[in-house]
Amino acid sequence: MSTSTVSADLIWEITRAHNSYQATSKTSGSPRFSRDPLNLFNLDSRKYAGFVNDKAIGISPNEKGGVVVVSKKVGFANKPRSGLVSVTFGGNKTARKTYKAVANKAAKNGYRADLRAAAVARVSAIRKSQRTPKADPVKKLRGNAAKKAASA
Amino acid sequence: MASRPTVSIIGQDGKATGATEVLPKVFSAPIRPDIVKHVHTGMAKNKRQPYSVSEKAGHQTSAESWGTGRAVARIPRVSGGGTHRAGQAAFGNMCRSGRMFAPTKVWRRWHTKINQGQKRFATASAIAASAVAPLLFARGHQISQVPEVPLVIDSAVVGGVAKTRAALALLSAVGASADVEKAKATKKLRAGKGKLRGRRHRQRRGPLFVYSSEVDGKDVVQGFRNLPGVETCPVDALNLLQLAPGGHLGRFIVWTSAAIKELDAVYESKKGFFLPSAVVAQPDLTRIINSSEIQSVLNGPKGEARTKRGNVQKKNPLKNKQVLLRQNPYAATFAKEASTAKRESSKPTPLPEAFHELLQEV
Repeated sequence: MSTSTVSADLIWEITRAHNSYQATSKTSGSPRFSRDPLNLFNLDSRKYAGFVNDKAIGISPNEKGGVVVVSKKVGFANKPRSGLVSVTFGGNKTARKTYKAVANKAAKNGYRADLRAAAVARVSAIRKSQRTPKADPVKKLRGNAAKKAASA
Repeated sequence: MASRPTVSIIGQDGKATGATEVLPKVFSAPIRPDIVKHVHTGMAKNKRQPYSVSEKAGHQTSAESWGTGRAVARIPRVSGGGTHRAGQAAFGNMCRSGRMFAPTKVWRRWHTKINQGQKRFATASAIAASAVAPLLFARGHQISQVPEVPLVIDSAVVGGVAKTRAALALLSAVGASADVEKAKATKKLRAGKGKLRGRRHRQRRGPLFVYSSEVDGKDVVQGFRNLPGVETCPVDALNLLQLAPGGHLGRFIVWTSAAIKELDAVYESKKGFFLPSAVVAQPDLTRIINSSEIQSVLNGPKGEARTKRGNVQKKNPLKNKQVLLRQNPYAATFAKEASTAKRESSKPTPLPEAFHELLQEV
């Protein structure tokens, strides 16, 4: 069976109550999260559930900086080993160019235009996390401590 | 359906041998989680053993009520003296050492009957669900390295897996060993008394290996039985408790090619049972709408490519000049007239000549 005859909507209805990716919190009112690697917002919802949809994008940090973008191949639903395409955008590429490339990957050729903003947001968050944080500025001495330092 | 879907057969090295097998009809059965859940609930009850408390528990004393007038409750009290027990309340479920409320009986209705048609429907449904990769992912099976779902292994290479080492090598060649590893990693000590009752550990289920007893032989059972989480099952005795553990659809099944070949015959041999078929052949509405058959007979879109927005938002004509003009074309002229009239009326009237003369007079 090269293509699945089962629609994504049916799969979602079967799995929406319980699936292995769900991460539910005991506190009431907290959002239901998902551990699905193909989920851009880590949110348990029909739109972002990567394992349900025929087309889905997953973005994860690359070990050497930058991001790895994984997307599902259409028509390979039942061939897990060959069903994913992975593209790496290295850390040396400017963030703006990476956004552009990821946005095009998400939205062009009728893939998933609805995921464009989410994909860019995730890339942005990952790139931000990869930056080395600026060192705190040296604290200026105030009051008596400053006087003491000046006289010494 | 124009052509029946096929599935490729995987060889020893984990690559497709090139041979394909037509998928048995049962794989197109409708996927009905409600039926599977219901049947599973019933079937899971049928392995229970009766238990109950002792018939005598809490009643092994000759207690009698003291009646009224002794300033104590009228509950039966243990008779006699010389021990602490004497005079203590007995029998009642609220009493220490009393019997429990509604003592459990061995003649509880432990087992349930499930209609055979329902059981067969549920089994067919579970088999069909096992061919849908997203459902396998949702169940938690580690199948990202599996070449194809359903996974069918050539029976020619299955014959030699009487040894566990060979069985594990075969599973890792076809990308199924990750699921075995996962099952192994989840082995936990059971909470509670079950530990003492022969259910010491609990762990996830791994792949289910379905074979044909005639072609593949029974040696495969020995080969696979020591692998954590792996279960084996002959194709003519498929069991819903293995096909949908916990009532959840999408068990990862490894078929032998002989088993897949035999599956149609297995269902044909069930007298008076017809495989359930879906009410509609294609339930995916978007796919129907986008199909070339529908799209070719549809009229082209009417009007311009850009549609004018209708009543999107109510605009206030008193504040929004464009909206005001649309409603009242005279408003522009009216406004213009009003402004000129105002300009003229607000012009200061020149002072009379006599005033200036009076001012300049010295």
